[in-house]
This record gives sequence, structure tokens and C-alpha cells, in this order.
Amino acid sequence: MKETSFEVNVHHITRVEGHGNINVDVKNGVVEKCEWSIPEAPRFFEAMVVGRSWNELHHITSRICGICSIGHTLASLKATESAMGIAISEQDLKLRKLALHAENLQSHILHLGFLVLPDLMGVGSVIPLASTNLPEVKIVLQLHRTANEMSNLLCGRTTHPQRLIPGGFSKIPSMNELAAIRKKLQDSIPNIQAVAQLIQSLAGKLPNFTRETEFISLSHPSEYALYDGKLLSSDTGEAPVKEYLSYTNEYVIPQSTAKWAKHKRDSYMVGALARLNNNYKKLSPMAQKTAEMFNLQPMCHNPFMNSIAQLVEVVDSVEDSIGIINELEAAGLKSQPDYNKPDIKVKAGSGVGAVEVPRGILFHDYTYNDRGVCTKANCIIPTNQNHGNIQLDMKAILPQIVNKPQKEIELTLEMLVRAYDPCISCSTHVVKVNLT
Amino acid sequence: MKPKVAFFDFAGCEGDQLQVANLEEDLLTLLGQVEVVTFREVMKEQSENYDIAFVEGSCTRLQDEDRLKQIRKNAKLVVAIGSCATIGGINSLRNYKDLDGVKKTVYGENAKLFDSYAARAIDAVIPVDAYVHGCPIDREDFLHVVKSLLQGKKPETPTYPVCVECKKNENVCAFERGQYCVGTVTRAGCNSCCVNEGTICWGCRGLIDNPNENSEKEVLIKYGQTVDSAIDKFRLYFGWQEAKR
Amino acid sequence: MKIIMKEDFQNFINALTKDDSLNVIGVKSRGNKFAFGPLNSADELRLDYDVTLLPPKKYFFPQRETLFTYDLSDGFSAKNPEETKPMVLVGVHPYDIIALLHMDEIFRETKSDAQYFKKRESAIIIGINIQNMSKWNFSAYMGSAAIDYGYDIMLTDLGNRYALTVGSQKGGELLAKYAKNVVPALARDMQIAGQKKREVMNMSQQKFDFPPELIPELLKDSYGKSGFWEKHSEKCLACGSCVLVCPTCYCFDVKDNPDLSLEKGEKFRTWDGCLLEDFAKIASGENFRATRPTRYRHRYFKKGKYLFDRFGFVSCVGCGRCSSNCLPDIANPVNLFNDMYHENELNGVKMATTATQPEINIQTEGNIDFVPKLATIIKKTSMTSMETLFEIKLDDKTELNHKPGQFVEVTAFGIGEAPISLSSSPTHKGTFEVCVRKLGNVTTRLHKLNAGDKVGIRGPFGNGFDVDSLKGKDLLFIAGGLGIAPLRSLINYVFDNRKNYGRVFLLYGCKEPKELLFGDEMQAMSSREDVEFKPTVNWCPETELWNGNIGVITTLIPQVSFDPEKTTAILCGPPVMYKFVIADLKGRNVPDDHIIMSLERRMKCGVGKCGHCQINQIYVCKDGPVFNYSKIKGIPEAL
Repeated sequence: MKETSFEVNVHHITRVEGHGNINVDVKNGVVEKCEWSIPEAPRFFEAMVVGRSWNELHHITSRICGICSIGHTLASLKATESAMGIAISEQDLKLRKLALHAENLQSHILHLGFLVLPDLMGVGSVIPLASTNLPEVKIVLQLHRTANEMSNLLCGRTTHPQRLIPGGFSKIPSMNELAAIRKKLQDSIPNIQAVAQLIQSLAGKLPNFTRETEFISLSHPSEYALYDGKLLSSDTGEAPVKEYLSYTNEYVIPQSTAKWAKHKRDSYMVGALARLNNNYKKLSPMAQKTAEMFNLQPMCHNPFMNSIAQLVEVVDSVEDSIGIINELEAAGLKSQPDYNKPDIKVKAGSGVGAVEVPRGILFHDYTYNDRGVCTKANCIIPTNQNHGNIQLDMKAILPQIVNKPQKEIELTLEMLVRAYDPCISCSTHVVKVNLT
Repeated sequence: MKPKVAFFDFAGCEGDQLQVANLEEDLLTLLGQVEVVTFREVMKEQSENYDIAFVEGSCTRLQDEDRLKQIRKNAKLVVAIGSCATIGGINSLRNYKDLDGVKKTVYGENAKLFDSYAARAIDAVIPVDAYVHGCPIDREDFLHVVKSLLQGKKPETPTYPVCVECKKNENVCAFERGQYCVGTVTRAGCNSCCVNEGTICWGCRGLIDNPNENSEKEVLIKYGQTVDSAIDKFRLYFGWQEAKR
Repeated sequence: MKIIMKEDFQNFINALTKDDSLNVIGVKSRGNKFAFGPLNSADELRLDYDVTLLPPKKYFFPQRETLFTYDLSDGFSAKNPEETKPMVLVGVHPYDIIALLHMDEIFRETKSDAQYFKKRESAIIIGINIQNMSKWNFSAYMGSAAIDYGYDIMLTDLGNRYALTVGSQKGGELLAKYAKNVVPALARDMQIAGQKKREVMNMSQQKFDFPPELIPELLKDSYGKSGFWEKHSEKCLACGSCVLVCPTCYCFDVKDNPDLSLEKGEKFRTWDGCLLEDFAKIASGENFRATRPTRYRHRYFKKGKYLFDRFGFVSCVGCGRCSSNCLPDIANPVNLFNDMYHENELNGVKMATTATQPEINIQTEGNIDFVPKLATIIKKTSMTSMETLFEIKLDDKTELNHKPGQFVEVTAFGIGEAPISLSSSPTHKGTFEVCVRKLGNVTTRLHKLNAGDKVGIRGPFGNGFDVDSLKGKDLLFIAGGLGIAPLRSLINYVFDNRKNYGRVFLLYGCKEPKELLFGDEMQAMSSREDVEFKPTVNWCPETELWNGNIGVITTLIPQVSFDPEKTTAILCGPPVMYKFVIADLKGRNVPDDHIIMSLERRMKCGVGKCGHCQINQIYVCKDGPVFNYSKIKGIPEAL
């Protein structure tokens, strides 16, 4: 091995949500420092919700993240509903699943089109691609638009959705509107195929790197689990969601304002790849075909393939959404009053809501007193759970690329982080609070 | 010559920058009118040479102030986007908590990493030329501000409350539905979007310039809220603005 | 009177909804309330409603309406909005019908609002007598709980059938085309229908303690009632709810909305409200109704007095929407007027027993045009750091034909319009001049334009100076600051017709020498023999040369000697100037009606519709901006 010495210092890595730093120090071929650190300002959400009322928590915790706000809102609502024993109707369950699909679509397309594609095409951002590859950029924008229209229809808007409330929806779409979005989803399939082919042609640029790790996600007997399910670890099997703490084991790292997590190994991975590895058989037929295009099947331990797994999930979300809308049509959509507000019997209790958001499994855990005021809260964000894996992947890949040109090392490390699609400002949402 | 624009973020959820990305095809038209030189979330390139700086997120620690002052030096115009930047936003909820108690953290000796003070709007640190209010910002409102700046115009922001838009949209008032709303003292410009979706106004665009706060609090109590819960409602988004008054 | 069974009525409505050439609208439920909305089938109708959230005026005067679209890349091609299908409104209550009739008069007066009337004339109104009355409704007191005209068809619910009264040929034709089994009413039906109408009169839960016809009298002496308006408006949130839901309110704002290309766009109007904080604010920052009590009072005066004096009706139909929508519960006219009446009683104030009928003089001349004419800047002269003089020519080569003292609305394309006084005399043909002070968005943009650039011109508006009545008189012009600009149009007119006028004095004051406008012309005036010209500045910095008077403008008045009986004083300046100058003139025994002034307010439409320029009952854009002091000295908001 050549005796190289260099430093890589990426301050505030670009094309990820939130602020993260990569600091690498190699002296004479020896890796002296390899750090993934988070300087993001902590935001203290778990402290902020204490003392607030049950009908406000979903509004506040939605603000943890601008991209996964639907996911946070749903996890929050599930936790509150679990704490107070509130059930939602079959129809509302289906509509919530559609909402989550819309979020997955919007986030994955944004990630693939705006954040990952530039790396594969060797440019700094999607902006120059608007001049050199206008048709492809337009396709990405059109897919993104459809996803946003779907979110708007189900939730009111993509970021900080208003329609999602405890016990159901304040307003639901009409069957005509659902049919219209179904048509848009159907029409988007050729566009998705075009994007898949484009990425396939560039897939060679993804490093062929593996490091065995554990994968944690939700799992459901009859569907590709996003909204409901049990906890599943690729190492230890299933567990009820309320035992999440024994899986996540958050701990503090000096260089990070975000906490890290570990289970049986020193780290684990959540996200699209984890879900695909754990639930491959439940993917829709077209989604599995897409995975086959890239030879992606369980168990894949290459973190760079997370982006491909996201592409597969885009196809699954589209196909499953069309199916759900068909079901709603067959059953007949029941109308509800304008300005709907389900009657909730407030009582003391604790509950955990777990939901798969684009970046991985998300937990909200609330405790309420008998007046419906929150006395304790805990949120575990997917990206927190990935930080350890990112660090270890970095350590493992570095020796393999240490002889490449500096720019290439930097790019590979950045691509590694981007592959996880981290949501860093979410992951610094909190500090463990012991209020006396 | 197209003006150069840059995007920056502080303590926030990046939802407002996502709204800019959500402009979809309008984004392409916008790129025809401006040159984006810094937008960390979306592009690798950066530049210190920009005319208009869009800033999202609150200032929550001393080290943020230096970054803000540098942005102010570099830019001809600074635009605060989103409630966190324009009024402190939901971050200001924690200003009422005992921050020391909160800082009693698992981080122990690394507590200096958690240098944190009362969350505040960015105009507490630097002068701001225009505001795009809301949590998140409304894309039409953002475009309105951009168009005004491109025309050399000072953007118009309503000084009247959300009730105006709510009435124009023929909503049933929240109070008539047994719910509680702070739209009477919240700045309009969102087209009452949340009430249109069947809920209430939470106040994310901040207080109007001369709110009749006493009257609104009396209304809340008249319709059944307690004094404490009325005060709490004002703390959700107005925490920083109220502390200033 | 005719009868139709309810089932046949359903079929009638369904037949209407199936006709694609009609836009069928009816009362539907919304939440726990009601609202007019598009009707897809008769099942959606809720004719038993008490009141709708918004009145049906929203269909004729929409919340937001495009006035025209423009395309700057194509000259300035302005397109009027597309015409909409004729509407059939089903279920309008009598008070809302009367409110529409009020609106008709308001939108017709002076200049007619074509967009409003196009919709109004093609619409068919199917009214229904009130079955359930909201607890806030006091229409029975306002004479609008039942009505014999104003509708095309009127329904009365008789249980299993409706009584139908046809009110117009259109109504009869509609029934003939779409309704089946319409039969003549029997005597019994007519009796029950009459009874139902009478019952409505007793449904009111509101009660006036005095005859409501006397509302204008009650208001007459209540303007300055000490503490009254403050007490009643203390809780006002300035939310505008009371005026936005009102069926007779019509104030609107006019704005430009360019698209991202900045080349194309639209000009639109949208509902505005006098209760909102910045309604009467102008670009300089001055707000003529800055406090809650003044705005709160204005609404009652407008409805109960100003419009009564102008049109002969109290412009309130008693629908109760304002009361029900006011969260702090301060908007109920019944409560307010009762309170006012009782306070008067307590203080022994005697009230008239009948209302004085006003002298009504309504005229209509043509339609409002919101589309400006294209014009070109011929010459641009920078006079001070803030003021620039523009010489403008209309592109269609016509003369503006204005009177001295009138103003035009100048459009800076893509930005908006601003009202600017004409600064040149109409005796000067071919072009006209405006002096623009850089204050807000429009004027700032105008300052950036140069000779050859295009602007839009609407007008001339306003009454202008009555040059004929001034003939033979001595004229004492008193100009403060920018006030010289509109006065110059009259001064130059007088010079061009010099022998028609007597002695001419010009007193002109500014803050400091560098702010003096029309410098060369002022110089020339000093050497003219037929005018006595005296300039003054408030102060002079050491670096400037100034030989003239130093002191505020009133210091010049003692320096001129004039005969108050022969002289007419003509004033224009900043709002604060008038009080002091008038006081000094009165001290020199100048009669009230020998004092004329030009006042400024926020003008948007220019034709007395949008409401922004109102000083109490006067529209500055239409009844002014030139006023004789004797006519406005009693008007509280004027000076």
C-alpha cells in the first residue's frame, strides 16, 4: 500500500438534510481519525411537548421534520391513540396508508432525483442537469408533483399536514378526487420506468462495497409494512413495538449532538434497504421486477444499494396505492361531516406509535395524565439509528479507497452518507430530558 | 444580469426549503430569473458572492450569530423564510422551559456542544429586508416575495388577521364548532389554509402588528378555555414575539 | 300565485341542474351552518335554512375578481375576463334580495360597473320566504323580512307544496321550460301563504327600543359622543368579519399580480373592509382612520347616515350576519343603536320624531373602465431628490381634456397604479404633466423610467377647480410643499387666461430651499408684474443661499394685503397645514366660501366605488379632491 497522507474535512456535507461533518485524517497510510459528526443545533422537542395537550402533540412533532412530517404526524397520532385506546375506522386506516405512500414517493423521488442523481452524473447539483438533461429533469419534477398532489389530497399539504388528527381526518377526499389521483399514478408508471432505466445505466458508478450489519424494520404478515406491524430484526426476529427500547438502546457520542443506537452488533441499519431485506416477499410484483433489474435481493449488505431499494419502494408505493384506491372504490367511500373532529374520551395512559418513514423506522412514545396532558415523551428517529452504521461503514470503506485521488475519496465518503438519505435535523431533535 | 441567490438554514426542519424544491415546474421558471449559487441541501457548489440570501430556521445559540452576521455582510438583501426565522417559530416553545434543567443531559462533560439559548427570530441578530411567514411557507407567498424583489418592490405583507381570508373562503368559524382558534390575531397571507382543511388556525404566521391580545384571550375564555390554556395557546408560536413586547 | 308540489319542485330543480348552459346555485349545509354553493341535485338543497355564511352578493361581486389580464410582450394587450354562464340562484331570502337592490344602486351611480351588471342581468333569482330565522336577524325592523319585487320567482313553503309567485317574464319562462304540474293557487293556498308571510314578522328575537327609521337622526349628533365609540370598540379585533359577511358592503382593493416571467399578469380586485387597520393608509404612511374607535364608528355612520343621505335608504337589511360573526360581540347594530338611544334619553337629548328625507341626486354616465390607456413619457425632469416631473402624451393622440385640479391614475406596468394630480394646464395641448414624489412601490418604479418608456393612464378623475366661478376674482394661492404641483395646473390656466382674473398672489412654502419645486418657473414668477409671489422656507442650512422669507407658510400671510371680499384663497399642502392657514385666513375675515382646497386621500378606483378615499360621507375621488371650505368645515374627518 502506498504511504499516503491526507485529510478530508467536509464541513456541512451538501445534498443531505441537516448538517453533518466528515473528518478523516490519514497519515502514512494509517487511518488516524475517521469521524462522522453532527454539529446540528439540538431542538429539544421531547422537552417542548411536556405540558402540552393531547390534541396538540401531532402538530408540534410534525415540525421535527419538513420532509417526513406526514410520518412524524402519523407516528405521533398512533402513540396518542394507543395511549388513550382510540381506534380508527377501516377507511381511515386505508387513507392513512395512502398518506404514507405519498410521503414515501415524494421523499424517495426527491432523494433519487435531486440528491443522488447528480453524483451518478458527475455534477454538483440537479440545476445544471436542467440544461443538459431537461427531459429527465422534467420527468423527475412531474413524478415529484404527482406525489405532492397525492399528499395534498390526503393530508392538506405535504409539509405539516393539517388533515391528520387524533381519531381520523378533518377532511377526506371525494371518490372522484381519489380516482383522479389513481389515474395520475397509473400514468406515472412509464416515467418511473424511464428513471429506473436511467439509474440502471449509471448503476456501475455505485461502489461495490459490503459490510455485514443488522437490519431493523417493521414487519407485517400480509403487506409490505410501512404503517403497521411488529418490530423485526434480521438478527433476532420479531418483537412487539412497545419493546422498542431494548432494540434501540440510544447512547451518546462526543462528536455528535445526535445520539446513536445499537442492538446486537455495534450498529444497525434502518431504511429502504432494511425494509427490503426484511420484507422482500411482500413487495408488489412490479417492485420485485424492478429489484431484479439491479440484482437486488435479500440479504444485501451494500449501503449504496439503499438508493436502489428506494427506487424499488417507489414502484411498490405506486402499485399498492392504486390497489388501496380500488378497495376504497369497491367498498364505497363513506362521507364524513365537514370540519370533522372525532369525539375523544381523554384518559391517562402510555402508548408507542411506530411507523416506517422514508429513512427508516420511527418511534414516538408518549405518556399522558388523566387530563390528557403529556408528562413524558420519547422519539427515536431513523437517522439516529443509522449514525453508528454510517461511522462503521466509513471506517471499513476507507482502507479500500485510500489510494484513490483525494477528490474521489471525498466523493465516495459523501456518497456513502447520502446513500443513507439522512435526515439530520430530525435526529438532533432531542436531548434526553430529566426534568426535576 | 440575473441576481444571485443563496439559501441558508439554522435550527429548523428544512420544510421551507423543501417548499422551494416543491415549486416543481415553477422552479425551472424561477431558475430562469435567478442564479442559485448556494443551496446546501440541493447542490454541492457554494459561494460567498450572492445578492439575496434566504434564511430558514431560528438562531438558537451564540455560534449561530456569527454565521448570520457573515450572511448579512455578504448579501444585499436578506429574506427570512418560515416561522422559525421570521418569528422564532415552534422552537420558541422551549423558551418557557427551564433550559438548565433541560441541559442536564446525558452528554455530561460535552455540555458545551449544547450551547443553547432562547430560540429567536433572525431579526433579533441581523436586520432583515423581507419576510415569508408561515410554517411551512406557502409557495405562492414565496413567489410573491421573489417577484416583488425582482421588480425592485418592497413585498406587501398583510397587516390584517386570518379572519379576513377565512371569511372570504366562507369557512364556519372554529369557535362555532366548539374549537379554539388564534386566527383573530395571526397575520393573514396563507389564505386560511388550515381552516380550509377542516381544522383551526394555530398562529404559525405570527402576531399581527397591533393585535388586540386581551380581546382574543377574553374570547377564548368566553368560549370555554381556562386562562392558563389561553396563555398556552399564545406560547405555541408567539412565544418570542410576546417576550419582545 | 301558483302551486307546485314538492316532488315536482325537486324535478324542476334537477332539470335545471342538467342544463349545461346554466350555473345552478342553491343553499346547502356546510358544517353546522349553511352556504350558497353549486347544486348538483335537488337533494342538496336546504331551503329551511336560517342564514348563509356569506350573502349571495359573492356571485355578482366575487371575493376576488380579475379586472383584466395584460401581456407586456405584446404592447399592452389587455383582455377582459371570460364571460360566465348565466346563474340561477335558488333559495334567496328577502333581505338578501333587498341587499342586492341596494348594491345595484351603488354600483350604478356615477359610473356603472359593467362586470357586476353583466352577471346581475343574466341571473335568475328564485327567492324563498323565511322559514327559520336566525336569532340575530332583525330584518322585520328594516322592512326586508318580506318583499314583493326584486325576484324572478318567490317561493313560500306550505308543507307538502310551494306557493310560487312569478315576479318577471324570465321567471315565467323558466317555469314554463323546466317545471311540470304548476297549477293555479286556490284561495286556501293564498290564505296560508299570506299567513306565513305575516308570521315572519313575529319571528325576530332582536328588538329595537325606538323606531329604526330614526337611525339617521340618532346618528346625526352622535359623531363626537364622548367615550361612546371608545367604549363600544374596546374589544374590537379589527378582524373585518362584520364587513366581510355584510350583504351591502362593497369596498374593494385593486392590485396587480404579475406572473414569474414579469411580462404577463392580471389586475384584480378583492374585498376590503373599512374596519381593517390599513384601509385608510396612504403611501406616505399617514393613516386617516388609525384607531379602532374611528374605524368602528365609520361603519355605523356609512350604513346608517352617509348612504342614507346619498341614496335615501339605510344600507342595512338586518340579516344579523355581522352580529353572529363578531367574536367579542360588539357588532350588533340593534345593541349599539339601542344603547345610543338610551344614552340620549338619559341625557335629555330630544330626538326628532321623523327622519329628514335627504335630497337625492344620483347620476350615471357610462361605465367604469379599469383598463388604462397607453401613454409615453416625452420628457423627464428631475426637480429634487424626491420629485420628478414627467411630460406625458397619450398614444392614441387624443387630448386628456382635463380640468385644473383633477388627477389621473398612473400605471407602472406590473407594479400597480398610483393617483397623481395633474400639474399642467389644459390650455397646453398635446401633452400633460404630472409631478411624482418617490414614496411607494409605484412611484419608485416611475422614477426609474425614462423618456420613451410606457405608462398607463386612467382618468382624468375628480371634480377639479371651478374656473368659471373664479372669474373676476382676486386669487390667493397658498401652496405647501408638494401642494404646488396640483395648484400649478390652475395657476398656469389663469396665466393663459390672465385677463379673466383679478390680482394673483402665490405664497409657496417648503421645509428648505433644496425642496422647492419648479425652480425656474418660480424664478420667472418673481419678475412677472401680474403676480405677487412670495416663497418661504422653514429653515435654511448654512451651505445654501436664500434671500427670501424664513418661517412657516403662515408667516407669509401678514405680508400680503388683499381684500377678503374680493379674494378667493386656494390651498393645497400637507394635511397639517390646513388648520393653521384657515385660522389665519379667518383672522383676516375671509368668508368660508371664499376658501377652496384640494385634499388627498388613498384613491384606488378613482370613481367612488372602492371606498378607500372616503372622508365621512364624501368620496374624495368623486366629490373632490377640490372642496369649498364652507361645505366641509363641519365634516370631522376632513381636516
